[in-house]
Amino acid sequence: MFEIATRRRPYVLLAVSLVFQILLLAVQVRRPDGARLIRVWAVELLTPAERAGSWAMDMVRGGWSGYISLFRANRENQRLREQVGELTMRNSALESRAAEAERLGALLQFREAHADAPLLAARVIGGDAGAGRAIYIDRGERDGVQPNMGVITPQGVVGKILEVYSGTSQVLLLTDKNSGAGALLADSRAQGAARGSGGPLLQLDYVSNDQEVAAGERVFTSGMDKIFPKDLPLGTVVETRPGNPFKQIQVRPAARLDQLEEVLILLSRKQWDWEPKPAESAETAPGARTPAAGTAKTPAPAGGEAKVKP
Amino acid sequence: MAENASAPPILIRGVSEPRLEVHKFRPGAVVGASFLALVLQAFVPTHVWKGDLVGDLIELPLLVTLYFGLSRRNPSRGLLLGMVIGMAQDGLSGANPIGLFGIAKTLVGYLASTIGARLDVEHPVSRMVLAFTFFHLQNLVCVFTRRWLLAQAAPFMSVRLLVASLVAALVAWPLFALLDKLRQDED
Repeated sequence: MFEIATRRRPYVLLAVSLVFQILLLAVQVRRPDGARLIRVWAVELLTPAERAGSWAMDMVRGGWSGYISLFRANRENQRLREQVGELTMRNSALESRAAEAERLGALLQFREAHADAPLLAARVIGGDAGAGRAIYIDRGERDGVQPNMGVITPQGVVGKILEVYSGTSQVLLLTDKNSGAGALLADSRAQGAARGSGGPLLQLDYVSNDQEVAAGERVFTSGMDKIFPKDLPLGTVVETRPGNPFKQIQVRPAARLDQLEEVLILLSRKQWDWEPKPAESAETAPGARTPAAGTAKTPAPAGGEAKVKP
Repeated sequence: MAENASAPPILIRGVSEPRLEVHKFRPGAVVGASFLALVLQAFVPTHVWKGDLVGDLIELPLLVTLYFGLSRRNPSRGLLLGMVIGMAQDGLSGANPIGLFGIAKTLVGYLASTIGARLDVEHPVSRMVLAFTFFHLQNLVCVFTRRWLLAQAAPFMSVRLLVASLVAALVAWPLFALLDKLRQDED
């Protein structure tokens, strides 16, 4: 070992001498920017290591903070998902309530506009489980509902009471094959019978081929069926063609039978005006007519129902 | 730097290599010669001979380093002598950072001692060739040092450098012969 050190002594001495003088040079010499060369070398020597260390620390910190952030983000994401679910449900409920309020508002408005009409508001509580087109409402015998009473909405005729129970009733919709109503074409004043086809449209029968009936013509009740008073909106002609022996006329029901939620029951066949007459308004028209005497009007209960009995 | 006058000449290397003699010098010869070379190099051009003949063209410290390196044939001593002479030259010059000629002459001293241990450097022509070669080696090291370490511009070769190297070679002949007189083993 000692021999090797002795043999290599000149090399070691040479290396030490050169390094010493190089460092001496670096201490003396200044760069044009004023920095000593030794400082520049030290910085250049140490900077990569520092940079690598800084990079490693950044990676570790970034990884850790990323992991923590991800964990927090995941929890927040879960919380937000739950919140979104809750808000969506709440929004749906509010939308449903708003729609209900709108419908009830329209119903109430209609009811107020026809204060003299013997109407009873009812809520649709179910549909027919069979193939027939019928619905169930929450009014029955104890509310004065009887079979064959007409059922309408502010848009038009819905159907008639088929079966009556103590607190509920079954309503046969106009579109059922066994349903029908006396009909009157608005322009030609030709009368016929509207009957259900089992589909979404009604078939208007017994209109002569001589009658000029155009699509878009409105159809009202004629009052001949002993169920509905005259001039209630029944629907609109959508298609007409000559037939044998009568015209074949397709009518779209005025009431949205597939979106029924609240309806009005006609408690009697007493004649009343469907369209409110502004000229007869109590405030504006001289000699305005007040609601018919003998017609009781009760305030709408919770849910916007108005109960009127003759 | 004083040599042991009583020590016999040492034969180095094995039997397959030339039997070269390591020369010894009178006490104070190496120090005195080195000091004189430095003084002449630094002060004569300024105070005695206004010009750059000695300062630039005749590199006396280089020649002294080279001579003692070749003669004593000890790399450790050669590089230490070169380092001391070079750093002293840098210090006396005032313009160079200490270490510029120090590095160059350290290498010159080391290489001269190494070569001196392998070749016969007693012939005047070989001495002139070595002086010429080492002049350019020193210049090469200085240029590299200036360029790479100090970020200074320096030419690798010029006419003036060529002339200076030739002058150094010419001066080496009588100078080395003069320095031979300082050898103790020739008494």
